[in-house]
Amino acid sequence: MTKIYGTGENQVKALDSASFSLEKGEFVLIVGSSGSGKSTLLNMIGLLDRPSSGKVFIDGIDTTKLNDNQISSFRNKKLGFIFQFSNLLTDLTVLENVLLPRQIGGTNESAEKDARELLKSVGLETQINKRANKISGGQAQRAAIARGLINRPSIVLADEPTGNLDSVTSDIIVQLMKSMAKKLNQTFVVVTHDQHHFGNVDKIITIKDGHSSEGKFPSELEVVA
Amino acid sequence: MDYRLRLAKRMLFNKKGSLLGAVLAVTIGILVIHVNFVIFQGLFDAIVRDISNYRNGDILVTDEADYIDKSDNALANWFERIPYVQGATPRLSSSAEINMTKNGKLIEETRVPVVGVDPIRDVKASTAHETISEGTYVLNRNSIVLGNNVARDLDGAQVGDSLKLLIVDRYGEDQIRRFTVTGIAKSPGGQGLDYSIVMHIDTLRDMMGRPGESGSFMVKLNDPSKAFEVKQFFLIAFPNDDFIAETIEESAEEQLAGFRSGIAMINLIGYFGMMSSAFAIVTIQMMLVNGKTREIGVMRSIGAKRKDILIIFIFQGMIIGAIGAGVGTAAGLGYTIYAKETKMSFMDSIPLEVSYDWEKIIQTALMSFALAIIASLYPSYRATKLLPVEAMRTV
Repeated sequence: MTKIYGTGENQVKALDSASFSLEKGEFVLIVGSSGSGKSTLLNMIGLLDRPSSGKVFIDGIDTTKLNDNQISSFRNKKLGFIFQFSNLLTDLTVLENVLLPRQIGGTNESAEKDARELLKSVGLETQINKRANKISGGQAQRAAIARGLINRPSIVLADEPTGNLDSVTSDIIVQLMKSMAKKLNQTFVVVTHDQHHFGNVDKIITIKDGHSSEGKFPSELEVVA
Repeated sequence: MDYRLRLAKRMLFNKKGSLLGAVLAVTIGILVIHVNFVIFQGLFDAIVRDISNYRNGDILVTDEADYIDKSDNALANWFERIPYVQGATPRLSSSAEINMTKNGKLIEETRVPVVGVDPIRDVKASTAHETISEGTYVLNRNSIVLGNNVARDLDGAQVGDSLKLLIVDRYGEDQIRRFTVTGIAKSPGGQGLDYSIVMHIDTLRDMMGRPGESGSFMVKLNDPSKAFEVKQFFLIAFPNDDFIAETIEESAEEQLAGFRSGIAMINLIGYFGMMSSAFAIVTIQMMLVNGKTREIGVMRSIGAKRKDILIIFIFQGMIIGAIGAGVGTAAGLGYTIYAKETKMSFMDSIPLEVSYDWEKIIQTALMSFALAIIASLYPSYRATKLLPVEAMRTV
């Protein structure tokens, strides 16, 4: 896929014919230097933005053909998001934040039970009724992981999930994501510029100047200019 | 509870300043309408009340061409047989010149209105007798009551003073008589007979050369809402007498028309005040939307549709409208009750005739509620225009 911002002389090619595929259960890193287009790529995969050309297939569905409402439903059911600053809704409790994707999707059956289980598995069982702004950054990121997993999406997309955390907490979050991926056979796509935190992963996609390549960390890392 | 309502409520209640500002805007909008209503409608109704009580009754009967020549008894008895009628009394009006000597000094007043009343019947049909601040109401044919302002113009005439009255009769002859002041009439706001002289109707008839005639007949009802019915009944009963019968609204229309336009104008200003409240809500909600850009982006990215975002902010408008309408109506009712219980008046003027117009109270509350929702539409629409990618922004 290609993504171009602006028009005429101000045109910027953020992604240039990037192409790759993921398998279910893979833990994938997207790495690259600042401004290389990795977040743009994540936005495309997460259907937060549309490519200027090219297509994004998820579970065999051509997502570029979906309208706005269909994209919202698709995001809700098939994608989970973990943001750099956790982005929990501070007006809600931890439990309510985790429940939110279920409530948006209108599938409330066993929602609270699932949310509590998830929160327990990320180690937040004692924090569930706290307001989201009353917990630490690491705890918030754990809650964000639980929120990203509540609908059992096809892919969980994480944008610099450790970017705002100290190294100890970062390691905890990384290990948590990897263990959840293994436990739930869950596909994770993580954008990071800090790949050494992640150790062995299934696949690394390196973005450089908008191009992508697939490779293995650390020895088989490929870079396409 | 629907998650959108819960979010709307939490977002609003966690921004207490914004909530307070928005609720205050709606409250003030409603309060302005209530205060306007209490003061201006209260003043209007007070003027109608006083015209009815002191001068026109609930129905005023006059003769199309001249004076009423039917006997007082015939008309009064006819009216008083109707259960709705509290009393009916004849009135006659003229103007007079007065002179009196006080402390050796001659004081003269010209063109003072004179009202002739039947002292027995008048107390049933009018409250003019209740305005007597000193002395008594008209007692007999030689007694007169001075309005407070007339007494003041006569250098402070008092009960017991003697004065001379000159009235020009129907033939152009001067009729002069001496009277003793038996009372001084003073009403709140001067709406009573403060600018007139009140005397026995038969004396005035004699002086005017109009024995047995009356200028008008004022009829007071137990139930003023039956005025039109009684009036129609009267006109049917006396088809050949050239009577004109008018309800208070009709007879006082000339005095009230301007006031009515004034009230409409004031109400319009009140509604503009309400519109200003709506603009305040728009501004406050735009601030709320701008402060929740990232949250909206997060919700969109985890699957919330534009419609869901729209509903959240419309719910906020409904919450603001509901609380504002509740508080505003309560505050407005509080003011109305206070005005009614204290018989509110300004600068010792006419006491307001305060009423509870429930239809208007409910209408105002509903209008404010609706306006708050309408005001929230634009911020809500703006919120739906925020992109899910906003959630990804790191600065």
